[in-house]
Amino acid sequence: MDEQWIQSVGIDVGTSTTKMIVSRLRLGRMSSTFSLPRYQIVERQLLYASQVHSTPLLGFDEIDAEGIGAILQAEYEKAQISLSSIKSGAVIITGETASKKNAQHIVHLLAERSGDFVVATAGADLEGVLAGKGAGAEKRSQALQGTVVNVDIGGGTANAAYFQRGRAIATVTFHVGGRLIRLEREDVVTYVSPNIQEWLKAKGLHIAVGQRVGLAELTEVATQMARSMLDYLTGKERHVSGLLVTGPHLRGEFPVEELTVSGGVGQLMTGPPVRSMADVSRYGDFGPLLGYVLQQERERGSYPVRWLDPEQTVRATVIGAGMQSTEISGSTVHIKPELLPIKNIPILKLEFTEEQLADPARIHQEVAAIYQLGERLFDKTTGIPFALAISGVGYCSYALLQTIAQELADQYRHYFAESRTMVVICETDMAKALGQGLALRCKGEPEIICIDQVRVEYGDYIDLGEPISGTIIPVVVKTLAFDEKA
Amino acid sequence: MEQQLDFLVDKVVAELQKKLAELGEKTSGPKAEAAVEGKAAPQQGIAPVTATKPQETHSAPAEPKGTALIPNPKWKEGLDELLASTPARIGVWRTGVRPLTKTMLQLRRDHAAAVDAVYGEVSQEVLDQFSLFTVETQYDNTENYLKRPDMGRVLTEESVRLIQERCQKRPQVQIVVSDGLSASAVDANLKDVLPSLMDSLKSYGLSCGTPFFVKGGRVASMDHIGEILEPEVLVLLIGERPGLVTAHSMSAYMCYRPRKGMVESERTVISNIHRQGTSPIEAGAHIGTILAKMLEQKASGVKLVL
Repeated sequence: MDEQWIQSVGIDVGTSTTKMIVSRLRLGRMSSTFSLPRYQIVERQLLYASQVHSTPLLGFDEIDAEGIGAILQAEYEKAQISLSSIKSGAVIITGETASKKNAQHIVHLLAERSGDFVVATAGADLEGVLAGKGAGAEKRSQALQGTVVNVDIGGGTANAAYFQRGRAIATVTFHVGGRLIRLEREDVVTYVSPNIQEWLKAKGLHIAVGQRVGLAELTEVATQMARSMLDYLTGKERHVSGLLVTGPHLRGEFPVEELTVSGGVGQLMTGPPVRSMADVSRYGDFGPLLGYVLQQERERGSYPVRWLDPEQTVRATVIGAGMQSTEISGSTVHIKPELLPIKNIPILKLEFTEEQLADPARIHQEVAAIYQLGERLFDKTTGIPFALAISGVGYCSYALLQTIAQELADQYRHYFAESRTMVVICETDMAKALGQGLALRCKGEPEIICIDQVRVEYGDYIDLGEPISGTIIPVVVKTLAFDEKA
Repeated sequence: MEQQLDFLVDKVVAELQKKLAELGEKTSGPKAEAAVEGKAAPQQGIAPVTATKPQETHSAPAEPKGTALIPNPKWKEGLDELLASTPARIGVWRTGVRPLTKTMLQLRRDHAAAVDAVYGEVSQEVLDQFSLFTVETQYDNTENYLKRPDMGRVLTEESVRLIQERCQKRPQVQIVVSDGLSASAVDANLKDVLPSLMDSLKSYGLSCGTPFFVKGGRVASMDHIGEILEPEVLVLLIGERPGLVTAHSMSAYMCYRPRKGMVESERTVISNIHRQGTSPIEAGAHIGTILAKMLEQKASGVKLVL
């Protein structure tokens, strides 16, 4: 087996639009026949991209599950793809839609019904990262020294992700989006999002539901909003602009070298100039104007960043979810195929230092400490309470491996006696040896799943798919938080 | 006369010390650093000589990690990324058109380690640890071993007798260890590869015959051993031809029903097993998987589907 394709789906249910894509990913052997097998995703092809549909809602706070189901059904038929052929992918509910009361339920429902290993995802951080990957910012960052930021501006929120040397290093989310101010009969304001009221006040801007608004007036609001977001992203000013931030603020300067804008508003940047209220309100909101003023900021060049065209605009997130969410674990692993797939496992991270590894007593302490943390954080379960991610082990001798395996196995059975499956994720290539060491000790109680060469951080969630050709495990890491240094 | 001489010596030494101190104060900027580096290098050259304990040369010496010698790199992180991506000697800087003394010494040290690996002997301690008894091929001596590969493929009559006497016949798995072209590869990796392999056999429920050590072995000595013991599968852990990146690299050659006249395409190999290459513990665990597949498919080499 030297090559294999798997089909992967991406579904994005956003504030204003819903879209899906189908792609195929080529798994290729990266190592020579004289080395241990190592597979990677070597090619990603887009097979089908759906139209951009309006997200069907029931009233203001509920997503119309059946409506979405019908859209997807029709799209699968159009794409001529059977659900059984889909081996991987991700569903993401983004923007303000994620706060609807049945969002959780729907995202899981969609994931269940979309194929074998389609995972449910949510969260502004992940959304930003996936959009950045879909827009090409991650790839672009590998080619230069500085940081690349992609900001995906949709209907309700703008998700920015910072990439450096091919890694996501930070994310931030703004209340900036096309549907935050909605219009009727060209110039009557029908909705102003409560999330931007404080910022409007701080900026001395007035816009209220029911009022008629002129082009100049609305342009001022849009321009101020665009500038505030850019001020924050580039670090020019973060006090007033920070009022637009939802969720955690950036914990550092993060100087930006290149900027791309994706999402629906990103696409509107390339549209025709907006010269009248009729132009502004063609979608019933101020989105076209927001795109237009951003384009003007780009042309003016008043921020010290290079603006680039993203590879994808309105479909960046869905393409990120469908094509870039899946990774492949190392190919020498210890698994029980019948236990897979497993979904939504939180990560606990055990980081060893060299000094700790030199002393068995300290290994014992570290393992005890992390298990005690796991015991406090997670409910008792007969399933999998968490996946333990081990890092910091450089070269691992057999003797060291034995010590680690003994401590992990003994203490796991002490602290999590009821758990029937133990999941371990190693940073370096040692999963098969460690897995067999654990399995020989535990003898099926608990069963062992041990994979490697997947980078995870504390606070992430992970999904492991069914093995392809025996030992290739598709993995989706759902990043929910970033370290201070990352 | 003697007193005068002493006085002179003292004076010269004092003067030298003063000069040295002045030089120390000026050490800032790339030029001075280079000068210091030049001084430090010979000391490093001496260090291995002072370490006279023979065990130290046997137990895998820690090979230096790639460090850039470029004094003021324009982009340090980028350079570190490149260094981390390869064991090749990059970012070594230069003096005029020549490499730095440090680089030259390291190259010569690595070359010497490669030569030592070929001419060295596997430590008896390592063999005892795994209760491996020793047999020999007809290699006679290292010079002859290098010139006559054919003689490294056939065991001596005495060795054949010893194997017949001490080994379990027709085992499911036969493990053989050989020095091949690098004795230090066995010293460095056996203690990690072999127990991991044994664990793997245990996991797969495979039974193992009596392992032993072949001195002066070539890969195809598997064929002769196959004739004598008739194992279902045989794995030979053998030291690889040393290079300048590492002198401690080991290969695992595996074969289904080894016998005389086997062609090379019937052998399966995992190579480059050492600290910076294929992880020894992971290799050991994976060898077990390959052996299990060989037994299942009754094939090895290009016929084996992995």
